[in-house]
Amino acid sequence: MATDDVATDHVATDHVATDHVATDHRPDELGLHHISVRFGGLTALDDVSLRVAPGRIVGVIGPNGAGKTTLFNIVSGFVTPSEGSLTLGGRPWRPRPHHLNRLGIARTLQGVGQFNGMTVLENVMVGVRGRHAESEAWTALERCGVTRFAGDRPGALPYAVRKRVELARALAARPRILMLDEPAGGLDADEIRWLAGLIKDVGITVLLVEHHMDLVMSVCDEILVLDFGKPIALGTPAEISADPRVTEAYLGTAA
Amino acid sequence: MSQFVYLSFDGLSRGAVYAAFALALVLIWRAARIVNFAQGAMAVAAVYAAYSVTAATGSYWLGFVVAIVAGLVLGVTVERVVMRFVDHSSPLNGVVVALGLVLVIQGVLGIVYGNEFRPVPTPFSRDAFEVGGVALLSRYDVFVFAAVGAVVLALTLLFTRTNVGLRMRAAAFAPDVSRLLGVPVGGMLTLGWALAAAAGSLAGILVIPTELGLHPTAMDGVFVAAFTAAVVGGLDSPIGAVAGGLVVGLLLSYVSGYLGATVAPMAVLLLLVVVLLGRPGGLFSTTTARTA
Repeated sequence: MATDDVATDHVATDHVATDHVATDHRPDELGLHHISVRFGGLTALDDVSLRVAPGRIVGVIGPNGAGKTTLFNIVSGFVTPSEGSLTLGGRPWRPRPHHLNRLGIARTLQGVGQFNGMTVLENVMVGVRGRHAESEAWTALERCGVTRFAGDRPGALPYAVRKRVELARALAARPRILMLDEPAGGLDADEIRWLAGLIKDVGITVLLVEHHMDLVMSVCDEILVLDFGKPIALGTPAEISADPRVTEAYLGTAA
Repeated sequence: MSQFVYLSFDGLSRGAVYAAFALALVLIWRAARIVNFAQGAMAVAAVYAAYSVTAATGSYWLGFVVAIVAGLVLGVTVERVVMRFVDHSSPLNGVVVALGLVLVIQGVLGIVYGNEFRPVPTPFSRDAFEVGGVALLSRYDVFVFAAVGAVVLALTLLFTRTNVGLRMRAAAFAPDVSRLLGVPVGGMLTLGWALAAAAGSLAGILVIPTELGLHPTAMDGVFVAAFTAAVVGGLDSPIGAVAGGLVVGLLLSYVSGYLGATVAPMAVLLLLVVVLLGRPGGLFSTTTARTA
């Protein structure tokens, strides 16, 4: 697969969604089309296109500074692309952070980002609308195995527990698209195994930014590799593992 | 002993007003990280609105309602029209703008209403009833306790029992994270300003009749006492604001009663300095105080 292939929208679409043609334009279909982002003289993303088909788990990997979090920030509405466009459910879409929840998109943060002045239960309830917020929060806490910490303040909890709380908060609103920003960071092997199981079982569209290769390779249907903001490869875990350009990007030499 | 009992009840009554006003300061501090130095002037403006309505209709209660509503409207207006556009890169920017608002509001009130002190009626007698020969509370004091208690209870229920309160707290803690969770942070901020200004207006309409009367600067002294109360309790703590208000009310009452009214303002400032030096985060704050 050539780099140019990845950078063109139709090729990326073909690659990711070959078995999902019939599900085009479902609300949980996310598209990035020729996205470029420049901060002054720095190009953080350069002509990145990606289609995240409904129900698929798509990973975004790359060395530090590759533009992974910038890509997440564009989908979250925190960063406006210098060029390119986004679609949601097949329609042009301009993301706004406070609209994500209503659109069924949840995102976790690298730095956990919990409200330390509130209990774990309250943290999880914030993102849930309606009268059933508390019961939905309890369901999410149970799913993530942290119900016994419901009355605690997040700041006093072990990091791994806080990561689970962050996942519970994202899942509590029953999103259609889940964006996970380095969810395995700081977790031990057992926790990562649990996380992999959760991602596989969650049953919704997942966009995953992660450094932990074993996790990415084990859970993702498709993987986009970025290097210095450029898309250098897109494919299945097996294809990505075998791609010499990916190895070169990570190790600095051709395999 | 009877004097001590009287001063205690008087201090608690006055402290309840300081508590309401301190609560207003804490609400805005938690939401926007601004000490709203214009809170006193905004409260006076609301009381002037009440004064006008009461003078025109003869109804204290209609004026009372107008004061609260005027507070809500002023809070929304100040946040939407002024504070939202302040560059918050430096905390001093908000302070300077708030101080500017004080000058503007007091100037406009002086132009419209003049600078004389106007007597404001109370709905109940301020004569203290006696128990065992000791003067305790007046019916107005009971009204003050009830009104402030109702506000504190309502705000407590709002913040701990409702989704709106939960979202207001979240927006105050971490705006960006809250946005990701669908919280309309701007709306929550506006609501916070509105509620704070209404609480400040309540404090104003309760305390001004017990002072010299209505004047554009009528709340300046109350602001100093309430600000001290908020600092004593911790600017982040609504419970601390209430406790701090009662502490400051008692302190002022005891110092006025035993040492003379002229010493009272110094006692408040001394308390402020002692708390800032000894426990700058306040007695009820759970956050770590900033160090140099």
